[in-house]
Amino acid sequence: MPSSPPRHGEGRGRLQQWLPKLVLAPSFALLLFFVYGFIVWTSYISFTDSGMLPDYTWVGLEQWSKLWRSWTWGIALHNIWVFGLLYIVSCTVLGLLLAILLDQRIRAEGVLRTIYLYPMALSFIVTGTAWQWFLNPGLGLEKTMRELGWESFTFNWLINADMAIYTIVIAAVWQATGFIMAMFLAGLRGIDGEMIKAAQIDGAPTWKIYARIIIPQLRPVFLSAIVVLAHLAIKSFDLVVAMTGGGPGNSTAVPATFMYSYAFSRNEMGIAAASAVFMLAVIAALIVPYLYSELRGGRS
Amino acid sequence: MSFLHINNIKKRFGDTTVLKGIDIAIEKGDFLVLVGPSGCGKSTLLNMIAGLDSISEGELLLNGERINELHPARRDIAMVFQSYALYPSMTVAGNIGFGLEMRKVPKAQRREAIQKVARMLQIESLLDRKPGQLSGGQRQRVAMGRALVRDPQLFLFDEPLSNLDAKLRVDMRTEIKQLHQRLNTTIVYVTHDQIEAMTLATRIAVMRAGELQQLGTPQEVYDDPSNLFVAGFMGSPSMNLLRADIVRHEGVLHARVRKRNEDVLMLPIERDAEALAGWEGREVILGIRPEAITDPASAHHDGRIFEAELEVELVEPTGADMYVVTHLGGREINARMRPGTDISAGTPTRFAFDVSRMVAFDPDSEARIRHT
Ligand SMILES: Nc1ncnc2c1ncn2[C@@H]1O[C@H](COP(=O)(O)OP(=O)(O)OP(=O)(O)O)[C@@H](O)[C@H]1O
Ligand SMILES: [Mg+2]
Repeated sequence: MPSSPPRHGEGRGRLQQWLPKLVLAPSFALLLFFVYGFIVWTSYISFTDSGMLPDYTWVGLEQWSKLWRSWTWGIALHNIWVFGLLYIVSCTVLGLLLAILLDQRIRAEGVLRTIYLYPMALSFIVTGTAWQWFLNPGLGLEKTMRELGWESFTFNWLINADMAIYTIVIAAVWQATGFIMAMFLAGLRGIDGEMIKAAQIDGAPTWKIYARIIIPQLRPVFLSAIVVLAHLAIKSFDLVVAMTGGGPGNSTAVPATFMYSYAFSRNEMGIAAASAVFMLAVIAALIVPYLYSELRGGRS
Repeated sequence: MSFLHINNIKKRFGDTTVLKGIDIAIEKGDFLVLVGPSGCGKSTLLNMIAGLDSISEGELLLNGERINELHPARRDIAMVFQSYALYPSMTVAGNIGFGLEMRKVPKAQRREAIQKVARMLQIESLLDRKPGQLSGGQRQRVAMGRALVRDPQLFLFDEPLSNLDAKLRVDMRTEIKQLHQRLNTTIVYVTHDQIEAMTLATRIAVMRAGELQQLGTPQEVYDDPSNLFVAGFMGSPSMNLLRADIVRHEGVLHARVRKRNEDVLMLPIERDAEALAGWEGREVILGIRPEAITDPASAHHDGRIFEAELEVELVEPTGADMYVVTHLGGREINARMRPGTDISAGTPTRFAFDVSRMVAFDPDSEARIRHT
């Protein structure tokens, strides 16, 4: 295109300089208000006497102490600990194993990679509902096995208060493993092929090449995977709601479902706000140092 | 029986044949250098000797024993890679000792072997560092240490110096040569730097597009190239290649070369005269090394010298030598003269041709014309 006269060009140049800022400004303002504004608001509410509706009477740490004395909160913390640990460890181990298997240059790699990645594209509600049907003794696996003639087959973890949390682990692991695998696969593909050749000549068997040479180099991938999984675990809400609704009883309550039920069904907004702020603090403690090191690493 | 025998080896990747039947045999203590342009299959051949690539056809014999199917770890070879391929999570000592560790050598013995090699390569002070904390030259030494520590029958080097800067490259080249002489090891070394090839090799294999062009000592390959490709590839500055007609003049076979004007230069044929007699009346490509064209005073008088006056087009002093460019047979011709000789562009000057070092090639097949 021929260049426009300088007078117009100048006006357009200024417009082009301002346009991105103008376009971004509304969403920036909304973000500031709805995310950071409400973080501040929620923190404040956690120090007030709010019940069903916000009430700005300052009560100091009273809601916080109620939270820590709550029996359900104890269960929720225990559950998130068990769930989080199993979830992170299983996803990392399975994801790494799958990535190593796929890295053996098998023929159907593209297809398999897609299949493993698909669950990540589903919403947690869909995953939760599907697994809820599948593990429901009256509908899914148990019923099918019995109909096929295995009369004594029992798999009733979903309705067993001691085991229900593990069904959530199973569904969550099923969903995230493919994604973690993809992360590890990318890491494996980035390793210098000559190094593996050198190790072969050095006489290392394949498993030792992985254990001594390749896996130690995947440290950054482990770190990313763990941070991603940890914050997914703490945020886990929809999956629990779809699968067990926090039950049987309170046996699968997690901090997110705790907060939801205290805010919207038990009319204890102050306690709910305190639990929400606590969760935010834990996630921030995980993510902020990670982002800091990542961004700094990217610059140097 | 030769020590390493590469017997008609071929390599195919799918439908493309990358190596088209390579035959090379070397003795114990030889330093074989594989040279050739990029993509000619040098690394592929080296990987096949190492056992990292499978052999499509042919036979590989080490010490008279067929090793085609032997696992790389059991071939008793060591390899130094272009990228050095050090293990980043291990210390220098761990890197050097890894091969011994995998072969279950006891720890004390391992430590001693690492120390010995580190002393030899002057990297003792670096043993506790990680590869990420080393300079390029230090990494290169560690990579060599990893190969040397196992004391294998055969060393393979794949362009080990190509990632170093020019000065360090020359130093390491000298060091590798000394190491070879001191330890009397057998080495197969890949490079596409023909100076490295000339200085290091006891035997050079020149390759092109998956075919072996010539195998011989550096001097043979340099003085007696078997075809136009080898002649042009080896030597820097490269051999002068010019068109000439073979004619009989006063009963003697001559190469007739056109000067810039309509004049001709008659160079008597000294070498391969029998074979060239059959080319009378036809055109050939004449090859003369720059150092075989000099000023008359510094000409080698044990050769057969033929002098002629030509116009100088350009003078390029390099310090050690002076390259003088003139025009012959439709090409720019490089002559190497004594530095400080009083020559300037545009003036007619006397050139001395050492015709006993002149070679001729078939312009169609590019093969050397010589007595077979
Ligand atoms: N895995 C492979 N599949 C198909 N073709 C290959 C494969 N590996 C190498 N080649 C081909 O084989 C030829 C020789 O490759 P090779 O790496 O041996 O070249 P080289 O002589 O070492 O070159 P360079 O000097 O650039 O290292 C190249 O044309 C390359 O494209
Ligand atoms: Mg190569």
